[in-house]
Amino acid sequence: MGRLRALQLAGLGLVALVVALLPRFMTDFRAFQFAFVGIYFIALVGLNILTGYSGQISLGHGAFMGLGAYTTAILSTRYDIRDLWTIPLAGLVAGVVGFLFGFPALRLSGVYLALATFAIPVALISLAKRFEELTGGGGGLILSLPVAPFGLDTTPSRWLYYLTWGIGAVLFAAAWLLLRGRTGRAFRAVRDSEIAAAASGVNLAVFKTLAFGISAFYAGVAGSLLAIAVAFVNPDTFPISLSILLLTGVVVGGLGSLSGIVFGALFIQFVPLNASDISMQAPSVVYGVILLLVLFLLPGGAAGLLRRLLHPLTTRLYRRLNVGGGSVATTLRRGT
Amino acid sequence: MRKWFFVFGAMIVVASLTILPGAFARPSADPGVTAKTITLGGTFPLSGPVSSYAPIASGMKAYFSYVNARRSTVDRKRGVYGRQIVWKFVDDAYNPAQTVQITRQLVEQEKVFALVGGLGTEHQIAVREYLNQQKVPQIFVSTGASTFGRDYGQYPWTIGWQPDYVSEGSIYGKYIAANQPTAKIAILFQNDDYGKDYIEGLEKGLGSRQNLIVARQGFEVTAPSVASQIATLRASGAETLMIFATPPKTIQTYAIMARLGWKPDNIYLNSVSATDAFLSLAVQSAGAAAVNGSISTSYNKDPANAKWDNDAGMKLYRQIMAKYLPNARATDGLYLYGMAKAHSTVQALYLAGKTPTRAGLQRAVARLNYKDNPFLLPGIVTKTSGTDRFPISQLRLIRFNNGTWTEFGSLLAGR
Repeated sequence: MGRLRALQLAGLGLVALVVALLPRFMTDFRAFQFAFVGIYFIALVGLNILTGYSGQISLGHGAFMGLGAYTTAILSTRYDIRDLWTIPLAGLVAGVVGFLFGFPALRLSGVYLALATFAIPVALISLAKRFEELTGGGGGLILSLPVAPFGLDTTPSRWLYYLTWGIGAVLFAAAWLLLRGRTGRAFRAVRDSEIAAAASGVNLAVFKTLAFGISAFYAGVAGSLLAIAVAFVNPDTFPISLSILLLTGVVVGGLGSLSGIVFGALFIQFVPLNASDISMQAPSVVYGVILLLVLFLLPGGAAGLLRRLLHPLTTRLYRRLNVGGGSVATTLRRGT
Repeated sequence: MRKWFFVFGAMIVVASLTILPGAFARPSADPGVTAKTITLGGTFPLSGPVSSYAPIASGMKAYFSYVNARRSTVDRKRGVYGRQIVWKFVDDAYNPAQTVQITRQLVEQEKVFALVGGLGTEHQIAVREYLNQQKVPQIFVSTGASTFGRDYGQYPWTIGWQPDYVSEGSIYGKYIAANQPTAKIAILFQNDDYGKDYIEGLEKGLGSRQNLIVARQGFEVTAPSVASQIATLRASGAETLMIFATPPKTIQTYAIMARLGWKPDNIYLNSVSATDAFLSLAVQSAGAAAVNGSISTSYNKDPANAKWDNDAGMKLYRQIMAKYLPNARATDGLYLYGMAKAHSTVQALYLAGKTPTRAGLQRAVARLNYKDNPFLLPGIVTKTSGTDRFPISQLRLIRFNNGTWTEFGSLLAGR
């Protein structure tokens, strides 16, 4: 087992190295785009904790991102706080709201929960327009363009890239640690059968609201970074479709698995943007067709594909490591 | 174990190969211009909540295609000074976060020469800082917010195109001051920059007669109904009503007035709501009597109005539509709006000279002066100067009667 863990860490380290070195081979604009991939990555890790691990569907995560973004925008434009320091605050604000939303969500599940969460983005848009003195109303808030702090010698786009992926790496590691321990087991127990989980002593209320809170915290941080990168926030920046897009991202990446998330993030960033290259008339139709193809061909999402591709490799590996052939599947699931 | 590294190695190679080519793109002094082409970009809501604005981009494309195919009267060459216009318009789904990304893509990746006609007030404000920092012209944005003409000191690379909301408001003010010196004016306005721009203009136009305004009521964009505001305005005893709202609220206003039995002698509505289509809806819900006689303004020819059937400009418009957009609904004024804007763009490119630079284009849009835009009302001059960055600021008053708008009075200057 020790060697296996070491190998997983080595793999993760290698991925981290790729992420760290990638900007060297990129144009400034690509770095900027991949900074957005990093932002979606963070939001998707959070949403996967909620939907993939604790089994609660949310169609409101775009609004949690919006909360984070508005927190950053209001603090940095109205109170002159450096955008960098507002990121944890944005996460906390969204996290607390998410945690509170977890309580009414306790009584709902499945489609009913999805519809209830759908109300959050709808409400956020009207609230943002209502409290104009604070949020700038429909006209929004203009932030200053991002620049590298502390006199770092790097372009704004590269700085954004390193900022998002740096925070992304930390939050990913935190999610990984959280999910492989007691909390993760409790989440999965709740997802698989609430009755069985309760019978084994898992406090349903605590873990369901906790999942909502953590997940919203991640979305808040992502939203804060989005506000910094776009340097502009208004209600149109967080349309209802963003929440749906995030949910598709999690499904494409693979529900209940962290390894495919980055592909979900790439999907969200690039497929809708490039759909209009294929058909100017109906970009959303192209997007829909691609989404359907992914769902048909990769039912387990990108994580499922990865698992299938690596399966022959890992089976041999596990056998050599003497983990035992019979438990390969379960070991893998625990590992990823 | 080695195979793991092969897999990751392969992934790195693939990733680098897809990303590397861009790294070696050669920077040039003024991107977007070659001996044969000139590349322009723009962001539009081709999908999303206001995708009904998409015809603007198509109309521009049709006119650029026409320019690329015809021989110029200037030098007998196709395109502009022999350069074909490459028009890259991209969908931002009316989401400012997308506008920012796509604008950067157009500038940094697609190397466009300039951004033309980008749609949406907030969306163009969201990219203004960046484009001015990069010294990329952001010209003829598709919004009437006055900031795009007013704040050229801070944002010299940005300019609007259509008459701004302040200009339009001032025309109503001037007309009322001259023709209804005893009017009692009530104002219903959307309580944000859009509505306030109009009020600022109205007050400017009224000049010393601002005391004619007896009541004003704002409403929030999100408010479901404006009934209480209308009741208050009615109680003020005003007989002239200004409606500075977006089309849905304007239609609602007519319906509520009909229900309350209030028919002001004069109703003015801003040009945003003043299309045949919107007013027909108002007629349906409030009756023709309540809507007939309403006054607004216009600066372009209306392709839905048969009176232009023999007009050379309208014939050109229909000819271009038939050739490049045969399946489109040519009576939609947004196609014509796009073509009129593309016409100004081509004029500015000629003015920028045979070897266009971004700085040259920026200077060109600040010294426009031409009056033969075939798609605008006759006599309208597109004019800018060192201190005037409002290309079109002349309007004509129009009056609605039984389904169509008709111009009356002479051409009026908004600024």
